[in-house]
Amino acid sequence: MKTRLLVLLSRVQAALSGRRADADLNQEIDAHLTMLADENIRRGMTPDEALRQARLRFGGVAQLEESQREQRGFPRLEGILRDVRYALRVLRKSPGFTLVAVLTLAVGIGATTTMFGVARAVLLRPLPYHEPNRLVRIFETNPLKRWTRTAAAPANFADWQKQNTVFAELAAYSGTNDQGEAQINLFLTGQGEPQRLKALSVSGNLLRVLGAQPWLGRTFTDEETFEGPGRVVIISYGLWQSLFAGDPGIVGRTVQLSGRNVDVVGVMPPGFFFPGRDVQLWIPFAYKPTVFVQARRPHWLNVIARLRPGVSLEQAQQDMKTIAGRLEQMYPDTNTKMGVRLEGFHDSLALTSRAPLLMLLSAVGFLFLIVCVNLANLQLGRAAGRTREMAVRQALGASRGRLIRQLLTEGLVLSVLGGAAGLALAAAGRAALLQLAPSALPIFADLRLDRTVVIFNVALAMLAPIVFGLAPAVSASRADTLNDRSESTSTGSRTMLVACEVALSTVLVIGAGLLVRSLIRLQNVDPGFNRENAVTFNLALPGARYPEDANVVRAVQEIERRIREQSGVQAVGAASTLALRGFTWTGDATVEGRSADDYERELRHESITPDYFRAMGTRLIAGRFLTEFDGAPRNTVTVVNESLAKKYFRGADALGKRITFGRPTDKDPWVTIVGVVADMKQDRLDAAVQPEVFVPLADNTQNGITFVVRAVGSTDAVLAAARARVREVDKDLVLTDVTTLGELVQASVGDQRFRTSLLSGFAAVALFLAALGIYGVLAYFVTQRRRELGIRLALGAPPAGLFRMVVRQGMRPVLAGSLVGLAGAYAVTGLMTTLLFGIQPLDPTTYAVTAAVLGAVALCACAVPASRATHVDPLIALREE
Amino acid sequence: MTDTKSDILQGTLDLMVLKTLDAMGPLHGYGIARRIEQVSDDVLQLNQGTIYASLLRLQQRRWISASWGTSENNRRAKYYALTKAGRKQLAAEANKWERMAGVIGRLLRLAESR
Repeated sequence: MKTRLLVLLSRVQAALSGRRADADLNQEIDAHLTMLADENIRRGMTPDEALRQARLRFGGVAQLEESQREQRGFPRLEGILRDVRYALRVLRKSPGFTLVAVLTLAVGIGATTTMFGVARAVLLRPLPYHEPNRLVRIFETNPLKRWTRTAAAPANFADWQKQNTVFAELAAYSGTNDQGEAQINLFLTGQGEPQRLKALSVSGNLLRVLGAQPWLGRTFTDEETFEGPGRVVIISYGLWQSLFAGDPGIVGRTVQLSGRNVDVVGVMPPGFFFPGRDVQLWIPFAYKPTVFVQARRPHWLNVIARLRPGVSLEQAQQDMKTIAGRLEQMYPDTNTKMGVRLEGFHDSLALTSRAPLLMLLSAVGFLFLIVCVNLANLQLGRAAGRTREMAVRQALGASRGRLIRQLLTEGLVLSVLGGAAGLALAAAGRAALLQLAPSALPIFADLRLDRTVVIFNVALAMLAPIVFGLAPAVSASRADTLNDRSESTSTGSRTMLVACEVALSTVLVIGAGLLVRSLIRLQNVDPGFNRENAVTFNLALPGARYPEDANVVRAVQEIERRIREQSGVQAVGAASTLALRGFTWTGDATVEGRSADDYERELRHESITPDYFRAMGTRLIAGRFLTEFDGAPRNTVTVVNESLAKKYFRGADALGKRITFGRPTDKDPWVTIVGVVADMKQDRLDAAVQPEVFVPLADNTQNGITFVVRAVGSTDAVLAAARARVREVDKDLVLTDVTTLGELVQASVGDQRFRTSLLSGFAAVALFLAALGIYGVLAYFVTQRRRELGIRLALGAPPAGLFRMVVRQGMRPVLAGSLVGLAGAYAVTGLMTTLLFGIQPLDPTTYAVTAAVLGAVALCACAVPASRATHVDPLIALREE
Repeated sequence: MTDTKSDILQGTLDLMVLKTLDAMGPLHGYGIARRIEQVSDDVLQLNQGTIYASLLRLQQRRWISASWGTSENNRRAKYYALTKAGRKQLAAEANKWERMAGVIGRLLRLAESR
C-alpha cells in the first residue's frame, strides 16, 4: 500500500516536471553508450565498430525512452493535456474566431440550459409531498354547462369520500384561482398597520393527505373541518420568521385575523408549500356539517386525493364514474350529467404551462442546433485555411486519428469555455425570468440551478463538439496532400450548412411571427371597457364589523361619495367581481315564456353600483343603466350583456323582457330587463363572453368589492387620494389588488407575452447566426476567388455584374434553406394551434413576412462581401500569387 | 542456456541491482550492468538498456536514490545508491530468495534421490 502510494507520488512528480526527465534519461543513455564504446575500443575495435557494438549491446534506445515515459508519469493524461495546451495555443492565435465561437456557444448552451431549468422546475421536479405521484385532483364535469374541469360541490365531495374504494383519503381546499394563486386575503390586525396575508381554507385532513408534518405544533384535526367553538390557523415557516420573528412560543399564541381572534396551532416546515408558494396561512373551512350533506351547489371545493397503493388512475376514474352515476340518479335536480375527471396532481397544476413550455423547449433545441451548425461552419472555414498545417503534420507522421483527436479537442475546449459562460448566462437568465416574468411561471415552480440542471449544462457542452466538430475534423484531416482539392469540398459542405441554418431559422422565425401576430390580435381585442385612465382596487370589509348587508352597502356608498368629490375624478363604481379576473358568481335563472324544464343552470351575475359602467367606460347598447333608486326596497330591474340578449332573445329586443333568478318551480319575483350593455371579457381576452346579468349591489350584496375609479391625472395621485378617502371611512381597511384597467388587460395576456418575447428572442438570435454563416461563407468565397475577380475586373467586367454574381452565389443556399424551412414550418406549426389566437398556423401573412425578412437579412449579409468583390485591385490580387 | 537474456525475471533483476549497489556502493547504470554480467561470469548477457526500467522502478519505490556525478574516466554519469528503505528491502528480498532457493534445491534433490 505504502509502496503503491510512493509510486503514485513519483508519477505525479514526473508528470509535473515535464520534459526534464526526458533530457535526463537522454544524457544518461549517452553516458552509458560512451562507456560501453570506450571499453570496446580498449578491446581493440575501431571507434565506429565500438559504437555500433555498444548500441547493439544496449538495445533499442527509442523503445526504452518510450517505455520509461510510460512508466514515469501519466502518459494518456499527458497526451490529453498536451492536446488541450496545443488547442489553447491555436485558439489564442485566432482570437476573433475564438470569441465568436465561445459567445455563440454560450448563447446556445445558456438559453437551452435556462429553458431546461424552467421545464424541470415546472414539469419534472417532484412536488415536495409524500409519494407525490399518488396524489390526484378530482374535478366535476358537465356537458350541459360546458364544464370540463370545475371544482366540486361539498355534498358531492362528501359522498365521494364515503363511497369510493380507490383512495386512501380525499381532502379539499378552496381559495385559489385558475393559476393556483391564493385568493383569500386575511388581515392581521391588532398590531399596528393591518398586514395583508394570503390564506387558503382547507379540510382538516388535507395536510395528512399530503403526508406533511408540521415543523412546530400540530396539523388540523378532522373535526376542525367543521364549525366549532375555537378558530385555529397553521402558518408557513416564512410567515413565522418574518412577521413573528421566529417566536418559539408561537404555538398557542392568539392573533387577530380580519378582526377575529385565532389560535396558532402549528408552523409548517421551511420549503413546504401548498398549492403555491404564495400561501402564508392555512385555515380550516369551519363550515356547518350540514353543508357537506346538502350543498350540491355551488361548486367551490378543489379536491385532492391519495390513490391507494396498487390503484391506477384509470381504475380510480372508473370507480368515481360509478359513484357519479349513482349521485346523478339520486339527485337529478343538481347532478344531471354531472361527471368526474381525474388528473395527476402535478400534471393538473402544470396543465396550462405544458404546451408553451414544450414549444419553447423545442425552439431552444432548434437554436442549439443552429449554434452547432454555425460553429461547424466556422470550423470548416478555419479548416480550409489550415490544410497546409494538417498536411505538414501528417507528413511528419501524425496519424489521421491523431489529427481528428486534436481537432475534436479544440472543439471541446471551445465548448467547455462556452458551456461555462452558458452556465453563467443561465444563472443570469434565471434571475431575469424571476424579475421580469414571475406571473408567467406557475406559482409552484421553483426555478433553481440544481445539480440536474448543471449536469444537463455539462452534457450539452460535451455533446456540442461532437455535433459541430466531427464533420469538420474528419474533412480537415483528409488534407493528405498539399493541393487544395479539399477546399472546394469544404466550400460545398459549408454551403450545405448555411442552407441548414437558414432552414432552422426560418422555422423559428415563422413560429415567432405566428405568436407575435396572435399577441397583437389578442391585444387588439375589445375588452368591452375603456382601459385608459382608470384605476381599480379591492376592499374586503371584515364580517366582524360589517355583519349586515346594509352595513356593507352603506360603506361602499360612502367611499364612492368621498372619492367622487376628488378633483379629476369622472366616475366611481363598484362591483362584486371584475372583468378578466376569471372569477364569477353563477346561479339559476328562468326566462319568461320558456317551458318549465328549460332554465339556465349557471348564469353569471354581478352586483354593481349605479356608476359602475360609467367608471368602466362600458358602452350602453339599449335602454338605460341602473340608478341609485333601483334595488331598494325590492329589486325589479336588471341590465344584461349583449351575449345574453343575443342568446336568449335571438336578436329580438330584450328590453322589457322578464327573467327570474331561480328555477321555474321556485316562483322567484320577476325582474325586467331595462338595459343592454356591451360584452365585457370575463375570463380571458381569448375566451368567448358568456351571458351575464347585472343587478344592484343593494339587492345582492357580496363582500370583497372591486372599486373602479375613472379619473384624469397620474395613477399614483389618484390612488393616493382614493386610499386616503377609504381610510377616512375605516382606518383598518386595506386596498388590495391595486392596478389600472390597462395593466389588468396587459396582465391577462402575460403568459402569451412571455412566450412571445422568448420565442422572438430565440428567432432573432437564430437569424443573426444564420446571417453570420452566410456572410462567413461568402467572404471566404470572395477571398478565394480574388485572383479571378481581379482578372475579370481588369478585362473590363462591370462591377455591378460581379456584385450580382457574388450575391447570387450567396443567396443560393438561402433560397434552398428557406424553402426547406417553409416546408418544415408547415409541418411543425400545426402543433402550435392551441397557442395561437385569431390566426391559422398556415397564416400566409406570417409566411410572406418571414420570407421577406429572411431575404432582406440574407441580402445584407451578402452585400458586404459582394461589394468587397467589386473593389478588388487586379494588380494586388495578381501580385499575391 | 542460450536464452538467459529473456529469462531474467523482473523481481530477480531488481534484487540483483539492489545487491550490487549494496556490495559496490554508489554506481552508475553501466557499472551496475557490467558488474552483474561479471559476477554471473558472463552467463547473464543483458540488453543493458533493460537495467534502466529496473532502476526507475526502484527509484519510484524510494529504495534507491540517484544523483549526477563524475565517473573514473571523467565522464558525467548518474550514480545510484541504496537508501535505508532499500537496504531493508534487500534484506527481506534476499531472505525470501534464499528460502525459495532452499525449497527448490530440496525438491530437486528429492527428485534425484528417488
